[in-house]
Amino acid sequence: MTVATTKPGGVSRRRAPLLGTFRHGYVAPAALLVAGLLYAPFLWTVYLSFTSYDGLGDPEWTGLANFGRLLEDPALLTSLRNTLIWVAGTMLLPVGLGLLIAVLSYDLKHGVWYRLPFMLPYALSGAGLALVWSPILSHGGMVNLLFGVDTAFLQEEPTNTLALLLVWTWQQLGVNTLLFVVGLQSIPKAPIEAARIDGASGWQLFRRVIWPLMAPLTAVVVGLALVAGLKTFDIVWVMTQGGPGRNSETLAVTMYRDTFVASEYGYGSAVAVMLTVVTGLASYLYLRRQVGGTS
Amino acid sequence: MIRRAVLIVLGLVWLGPTYLLLINAFRPAESYDAGRAWIPSGDFALLDNFARAWESANLGDSLASTALYSIVSPAAGVLIGALAGYAIVVLRLRYGFWWFLLIFGGTIFPSQMLLVPLFIGYSEAGLYDDRLGMILLYTAISVPLSAFVLRNFFTGVAFSIFEAARMDGASTGHIFLRIYLPLASSALTAVFILNFTFIWNDLLFGLTLTQTSTVRPIMTTLAGLQTDVYAGIPVPVGLAAGLVVSLPTVVVFLATQRLFARGLALGQV
Repeated sequence: MTVATTKPGGVSRRRAPLLGTFRHGYVAPAALLVAGLLYAPFLWTVYLSFTSYDGLGDPEWTGLANFGRLLEDPALLTSLRNTLIWVAGTMLLPVGLGLLIAVLSYDLKHGVWYRLPFMLPYALSGAGLALVWSPILSHGGMVNLLFGVDTAFLQEEPTNTLALLLVWTWQQLGVNTLLFVVGLQSIPKAPIEAARIDGASGWQLFRRVIWPLMAPLTAVVVGLALVAGLKTFDIVWVMTQGGPGRNSETLAVTMYRDTFVASEYGYGSAVAVMLTVVTGLASYLYLRRQVGGTS
Repeated sequence: MIRRAVLIVLGLVWLGPTYLLLINAFRPAESYDAGRAWIPSGDFALLDNFARAWESANLGDSLASTALYSIVSPAAGVLIGALAGYAIVVLRLRYGFWWFLLIFGGTIFPSQMLLVPLFIGYSEAGLYDDRLGMILLYTAISVPLSAFVLRNFFTGVAFSIFEAARMDGASTGHIFLRIYLPLASSALTAVFILNFTFIWNDLLFGLTLTQTSTVRPIMTTLAGLQTDVYAGIPVPVGLAAGLVVSLPTVVVFLATQRLFARGLALGQV
């Protein structure tokens, strides 16, 4: 079938026997799965974001009403603020500390052992992380009772978001460190040696020689942290469910709550669209800055 | 030396919570006391604690479902992705690049953009709270990355291999199965493991699309456990469950670490 549509004398006509005749059959399963379960729902969500829909009956077209409501929703503003804390926090803490530990340890003898404490938490995954931290931070939990304090880590805003961010840092630091160590070990030795001979050391060596050589890798790690920070869901959902009230919600949690707890499918879809736009915009600006910075 | 001192101090700070988690996960459930949490009990109750979580939250069914999802879906996904890569690169599909873009474009959607239609669509199609529905979705999610890595991998394989096999009379399907798939085994494994980890750790889709403990994936079931001092199951039981359930991803990663690094390096050719 493909052969018939190619231009006369085209390459495909002659190659057809060689390449086989049922070539679209190979790409069809992938295309169908992706189109049916990823693209179609995506488009449907975009449509639903312009409607009012409770899951029963038909969606009712309401134009931009959902987006107007977003701007005036106090829960959404809190959620947006928390999401910004998450984004800034994940770009700063796990990445910054990871770089620090990598630079301090990459050329040390037994560096692996110095890094081991940071690697261990990475063994915990997903909801497991949140589950094990709840009894540490909860009000009658280990930190309060062991240190004889009475801090409501998970109750007051924005303390709860910051506490969750620290838990996240505790878990993510290892993998960031590892990425930086691999990067540091693969940068060329010659410039560093040359700078050492010229008398550079410590901060200067790092600032003037190592840091510029590391820049491409750092850009990738920070970019990954940016997207991960925007999508924060699991840890918040398991540890606080976005509460108390709605004061530790992130955009991803707000979307879930508005949709599946409040059964406002249209409004929830609008939150999802907003999250997508924010993520796309942030990624675009970040990429543009990175590309602009290196050219 | 200052460097070592900084590393040791930070390391101790990081070990603190690790220590608390471990000794309390090994502590008999009844003897837990938050105010004395740092004193080791000297018992080995980890497995007892886990067994208790297993019974009270039906972890067995949930684990079986997750094992099913995180093995079948990445396997199917990587195979389907490889097929697409093979069609695009080796069989020189017309508009191959656009097919590739269509498939790989599936990675850019945030999960939140899929939830509502999947929930509604699955409810109507009878796939809500159904293992088949979860397998289908997880497979679809695994496909784009598989297609990406395998397409790159096949680009690096000499086309003359294909031509020679073709001249010998092998069918395109036969060549895929007998030559290209075995060649790509390390890339296939690397992608399989990445998707395995993602699916094993998934909370959101499980939360949205399942209800009963036989269908619910493990992380969603875990998220429902309430380990609190005031309510729900005892803290050591929750800690043990969190630790044990995290183990498979660690084991799989460690067991395949070298293959994994090699496969990804090849995939980036």
